[in-house]
Amino acid sequence: MVTRDEALAICDAVLAAAKSAGAEDATVSVQDSLESHARFADNRITTSGRSEDVSVTATVWVGQRRGAATGNDSSPAALKQLANEAVQIARVSPVHREYLPTLGPMTYAQERTFADSTANIDLDARAKVLSAILDECRRAKVTGAGFHSARASASATATANGNRRFFRSSEGSLSVTARSADGTGSGYYAGDHFDLSRLDARKIAAEAVGKAVRSRNPKPIEPGTYPVILEPQAVADLVGSLTNAFDARTAEEGRSAFSARGGKTRVGEKMFNERINLYSDPMHAEMPATPSTNDGIPATRLSLIKGGVVENLEYSRFWAREQKRDPSAGPVNYILESTDAPVPVAKMIESMERGLLITRFWYVRLIDGRSIMLTGLTRDGLWWIDKGRIQNPVRNLRFNQSVLAMLSPKNVEAIGAPERRSPLMVPALKLSGFTFTSISDAI
Amino acid sequence: MSIHEFSRRAFIAAGSALVAATYLPDWAEAFQAAAPDDAARAEAAEAALTRATALGASYADVRVNRYRRESIATRERQVQSVSRSASYGLGLRVLVNGAWGFAATNRVEPAAARAAAEQAVAIARANAILATRKVVLADADRVVATWNNPIKRDPFEVPLDTKVQFLMKLNESAMAVRGVSFVNSQILFVDEQKYFASTEGSRVTQRLVRTYPQFNVTAANRDTGDFQTRPVVDRAKLLGYEYVEDYPWLQDAELAGHEVVEKLTAKPVAPGRYDIVVDPTQLFLAIHESVGHSTELDRSLGLEANMAGTSFVKPTDAGKLRFGATIVNLVGDRTQPGGLATTGYDDEGVKSERWHIVRDGMFVDWQTTRELAPLVGQKRSHGCLHSDDWSSVPFPRMPNVSLEPAKTNVTFDDLFSEIKRGLYVVGRGVSSIDQQRYNFQFGGAVIREITNGKLGAMVRDAAYQSRTPDFWASCDGIGGPSTYRLWGTSADGKGEPGQTNAVSHGCPPARFRNITVLNTGAA
Repeated sequence: MVTRDEALAICDAVLAAAKSAGAEDATVSVQDSLESHARFADNRITTSGRSEDVSVTATVWVGQRRGAATGNDSSPAALKQLANEAVQIARVSPVHREYLPTLGPMTYAQERTFADSTANIDLDARAKVLSAILDECRRAKVTGAGFHSARASASATATANGNRRFFRSSEGSLSVTARSADGTGSGYYAGDHFDLSRLDARKIAAEAVGKAVRSRNPKPIEPGTYPVILEPQAVADLVGSLTNAFDARTAEEGRSAFSARGGKTRVGEKMFNERINLYSDPMHAEMPATPSTNDGIPATRLSLIKGGVVENLEYSRFWAREQKRDPSAGPVNYILESTDAPVPVAKMIESMERGLLITRFWYVRLIDGRSIMLTGLTRDGLWWIDKGRIQNPVRNLRFNQSVLAMLSPKNVEAIGAPERRSPLMVPALKLSGFTFTSISDAI
Repeated sequence: MSIHEFSRRAFIAAGSALVAATYLPDWAEAFQAAAPDDAARAEAAEAALTRATALGASYADVRVNRYRRESIATRERQVQSVSRSASYGLGLRVLVNGAWGFAATNRVEPAAARAAAEQAVAIARANAILATRKVVLADADRVVATWNNPIKRDPFEVPLDTKVQFLMKLNESAMAVRGVSFVNSQILFVDEQKYFASTEGSRVTQRLVRTYPQFNVTAANRDTGDFQTRPVVDRAKLLGYEYVEDYPWLQDAELAGHEVVEKLTAKPVAPGRYDIVVDPTQLFLAIHESVGHSTELDRSLGLEANMAGTSFVKPTDAGKLRFGATIVNLVGDRTQPGGLATTGYDDEGVKSERWHIVRDGMFVDWQTTRELAPLVGQKRSHGCLHSDDWSSVPFPRMPNVSLEPAKTNVTFDDLFSEIKRGLYVVGRGVSSIDQQRYNFQFGGAVIREITNGKLGAMVRDAAYQSRTPDFWASCDGIGGPSTYRLWGTSADGKGEPGQTNAVSHGCPPARFRNITVLNTGAA
């Protein structure tokens, strides 16, 4: 991977070229990336590969007119051409009404998001991991499919006003889908970590295979509203739509779930269960993130929901200036956790009179931003619970459910320990009600 | 020079040379290296293929592609950004002992190409023990060809000001409607310059230009906290700037303004069973999700089980499975003019073609590649291999899948006239479908009542839900040739790592009986 000095030298070369071409302000970013992956299906490897690339983006302003150009050639001639092109675009563009001078020098924390074991993947070691997974699938007489990925990048940004930052990050991930030979059962499990050596492949495979075996021959139930337990993956599949709603500008423009009547927002309102906390923290031990926002603001711990109350929305640099406040120091990741001690899923099951245990959701789409109403389907493991015990697998169901209602004060019964599902850390949830509208034949 | 070789010394040398650089070429010329160097590209490709063969690959192919993109984003009366990007690189696929290996690099020169070949072969060898079924490729013709999609006006040569003025007028058309609060609009142009070479001797050079105008109009009622949106109904074509000039964008933006304001006060739909007429602007998406994806052979064989899912259509179903009513005919077509998945040759050099997937309501054939065709006893590929970038592993992707119109001139009014209580669904709404492509739920941009054969008031918060075989079996009316339109989607996701595919679907409107309609507004 490119070093800090090498990356910043590229930024400086483009800044110099842009300045000599007439740019009055500029920001230049460089990203060097490396990706290795292996796919398997039908209990065999299918495709596997690696790719390397570099991306250089110059954004410049000439008389408050903005131009941006991106390329993937870092030769001196190409960098010069890139800078010239950005300036040319700026010269013929209208005035950028949301121009803000680029950032000056800032102090950033040292990132915790990079591991050499991920960046320098050992092909033979990966083959052994995959071999063990496929062996487990064959032993259990299920058909395994999955994806193993290791990505690493080094990114630098420099501005004409002296801001310079450089971060490295990596991410290893593994997901496994196991399907029973008779086609009536399917199980899925996934994990990710910035340090590939900390990914528990054995557990991921065992969970997927176990779910496939236990979910065979599902029985239909009538669509309707049921108590549910959502495993962390299922929560992760829904919470992304909530985190997207925290943009302050959208809320203040009256077109988000956090918009209130009269052009106000719902900050300060207890919209969620009192045990729910949602925050961002680049230094989180399990789910660290780059300690800078996309705007270049140094990221620190930022609370979005505290004790069920909406505490902060996300202010970009531009919108913060418009609203005469500071830009947000995040979010760069999302950690959802309980104020109380976490409740294990096994305890949630024991305490459930009747309801459903849900592995994950699929094809989740936002229908209505006002209530964060989503539709989607259960997939790869759905069971009926009766009197504290798992009774039988259930045919998959389509849901139509508002996330605001799902996390509302009276609907959340128990919260588990958060698990990493990058860029989220989310717990299992036990909920009083969750609404399903039809049965799916899909396995 | 690669980023890995970049040094402070090089920077200083570059910097000193740049001081005198004040010449700025005009708009078209300013784009980074508008065309790849054909000789250098071919030399790198040959180096990769030669090295892969020397290392034991039984087959190898390479794609050396350059992508240029230009995008302009606006909101209301201002331009938010103007950006251009270029990306150039080489991706090599090798078959060693029946297992695939792939490597890609942004350095298009012989040494890097040879290194990529070595990496690809090493990956294939490391994984060969896990390849319990050896890959066998269907025969393909050796092809040496050039193909460019016909365009009337190259969008990259149109002055920026012309494009900005188009978006500003479009926004103004919507904003002029009383009650409209916001308009976001964007236009994206993509220029894909592809070179394919294989160890079987094929050499294919292609250029594909796509144009993607988009907008979204919002009406927000700040007193009630309510808001509604009406997105663009058309969105992408394999065409040049003539697509911007020929389509009535401004009229549609104005109509969108009126419709979004009407939607804010429209009555909520009463849930229940309805006969529905689905406009081509919505039906294309239903075809995409329920037919396009379910008839991908790789899905049926379980190769996408971990991500996109499998299919309710089984590998042995061709010629045996009733897919829909006898009036339903669907074709795979990579030759359809303007279609986003139209091309001269696919990404393993197979010539594009048109074939029936559903004939007279029966499922008859798959979407295939050279690797897939032999697995269902076919000798030739239908040409569905595609990679979305030089850095992406090519894999099976959807062709344009289109519904054939009725042979007689069936009109919209004909379709409406036989409905007592129904809905007319126009435009793209929220879509969601299960992993075997049975159960789906689709919304629409605008939905109106049909009462006793006549179109009536707009309703809001409506979505229709069905099961693919039931839905197509319930089809009892299809529009004639004059109602046929082609619509596309630019970001069809599939695969791991995820890739996008641009694909179109041609269709007339069609009528479906007794379909479940939900009210999605009720929390």
